[in-house]
Amino acid sequence: MMGQMIVNGVVTAALIAPPAVAFSMLFGILRFPNFAIGGYITVGVFTGYAANVLFGLPLWAASLAAMLAGAAVVWASDRIIFRPMRTSSPVTLLVVSIALTFVLEHTVRLVFGADVRGFDLPLERPLVFGGMHITRPQLYLMGASLLVVIVTHFLLTRTRIGKAMRAMADNSQLAEVRGIRSVLVRVMVTLYCGALLGLSGVSAGLDLVIEPLLGWGLTIPIIAAAILGGIGSVYGAMLGAVLVGLAEEFATLILPSSYKIGVGFAMITILLLLRPYGLLGQPEIKK
Amino acid sequence: MLAYFVAMATYAGFFMILAQGLNLQWGMTGMVNFGVAGFYALGAYSGAILSTRIGIAPELAIALAGVAAGVAGLVVSLLTMRLREDYFAIVTLGFGEIVRLFALNEDWLTEGPRGLRIPARPFDFGLSNAVYSLVYLGVVALVVLVIYAICERIRSGPYGRTLRAIREDDVVAGVLGKNVLRFRVQAFVLGSVFMGVAGALFAHYIQNISPDTFMPMIAIFIWMSVIVGGYGNNKGLLLGAGIVIFILEGSRFLGDFTSIVTSQQLSSIRIILIGIILMAVLRFRPRGLIPEPKFMSEFEKTS
Repeated sequence: MMGQMIVNGVVTAALIAPPAVAFSMLFGILRFPNFAIGGYITVGVFTGYAANVLFGLPLWAASLAAMLAGAAVVWASDRIIFRPMRTSSPVTLLVVSIALTFVLEHTVRLVFGADVRGFDLPLERPLVFGGMHITRPQLYLMGASLLVVIVTHFLLTRTRIGKAMRAMADNSQLAEVRGIRSVLVRVMVTLYCGALLGLSGVSAGLDLVIEPLLGWGLTIPIIAAAILGGIGSVYGAMLGAVLVGLAEEFATLILPSSYKIGVGFAMITILLLLRPYGLLGQPEIKK
Repeated sequence: MLAYFVAMATYAGFFMILAQGLNLQWGMTGMVNFGVAGFYALGAYSGAILSTRIGIAPELAIALAGVAAGVAGLVVSLLTMRLREDYFAIVTLGFGEIVRLFALNEDWLTEGPRGLRIPARPFDFGLSNAVYSLVYLGVVALVVLVIYAICERIRSGPYGRTLRAIREDDVVAGVLGKNVLRFRVQAFVLGSVFMGVAGALFAHYIQNISPDTFMPMIAIFIWMSVIVGGYGNNKGLLLGAGIVIFILEGSRFLGDFTSIVTSQQLSSIRIILIGIILMAVLRFRPRGLIPEPKFMSEFEKTS
């Protein structure tokens, strides 16, 4: 029982860690909480679905297609909407990103309808390890999540572009003065985060059911994880994902499971009141 | 056709009341409330429960629903007032979702997803349905006017100047000796009361409410009303709410589309349209169609 809850919590954590990292990285460059992540995830999962079920591609190829679609849509939305509006206030951009989520989700709904779908996978029993059940797709998504964490770590610490991303997130003016090409970094971050969000869509489709509101349902736990870890902190987002995953699972001991979404919110509210800069974040120094 | 117009105008009235509440909170005072749907739902459910389960006269239940939403507004604002504005947005959005989850899960009180039926009809003197819908529209219009008068009075008076000063820079307002926290909480509570009244009026009009009526989408419709009209401007948001309702409901006048697109697709198209208009307005006319008049002192006007 306890072991199964930990497994479920870790699966949830693996599901929301990559998008939480993407949300945090996007925040570092765009400087506002981009609520459109739900819409990007929905685009990703339906691209994967179309590739897998309609065109009969294997799951790895479908994931690749979803990553390409995610990268394209995040880059395009930045190019068309957010970059021209970068001087607007964060709240204006927040409203725009929520509107964008609804536009993306309802465009998907317009094309595919609101029916519940699933990937084309062979039916099989869950695997059992010492009394704990886990399905093969859940193992896939945990592997993908681990890969994302490792790749992101190497990208940010070992490559020139990754270091430039961190410098931009830290202090964009100083980075520009030091000769970092801010537009290039911005494009790379949107492409990378888009690919992560597209992949997250496929992961979500493996663990949950595929429907247009899938992304919106995940938005809250993802943002909760990012804020818990300290917005802008990539490792914090991973830690936050684990905490949210476990908390949602263990909350079912005292609350009906239908209140799961509320747990994320309660955690953010309490944390923001006690430690507004997150667990691993730095307090912002005001001028 | 007339009945349809009356229904559309009544809906526009609910949206206008909600938009007035949001304008007081965000447009005037700068508090980013994304939990509009939550306060609307809270008003609707508390009004409905008071009049159907406890048997209070529906007119009184509507007023009490405003009080209930106001109390919720007091708690939410006291808890979150110190937060940065984007965090404030996330927490209020969370409040809205929690209210909806509560209504969805606590069937013993709210009938859950089956929906709560409200047989009580306020302001009913044994009228026929056609006349009653006109009377109800009149009542809603009266509430809109009263709230408009209150908001205009606030906006043009010294109280409104203080609120706008807090919106522009709360530190400066504080340095000038204004109790920023108290003004913010007061504005938030009053806005919540308006939203609660709108919810209870809606519940007694539609006579059947279920949690999926109160999706976070409502918040975007109301934000759009305030933004398109021009924030901080009470006249503009009446126009904005009218435009939103026209897009949501008015496409029915364009003739019979059902041969080309299904009703579900049509509802998606409406929401896409609303989203695109909202983004376009924020991009090209960020201060709305009727921008807030720039404040000028008497001295500047005469010179």
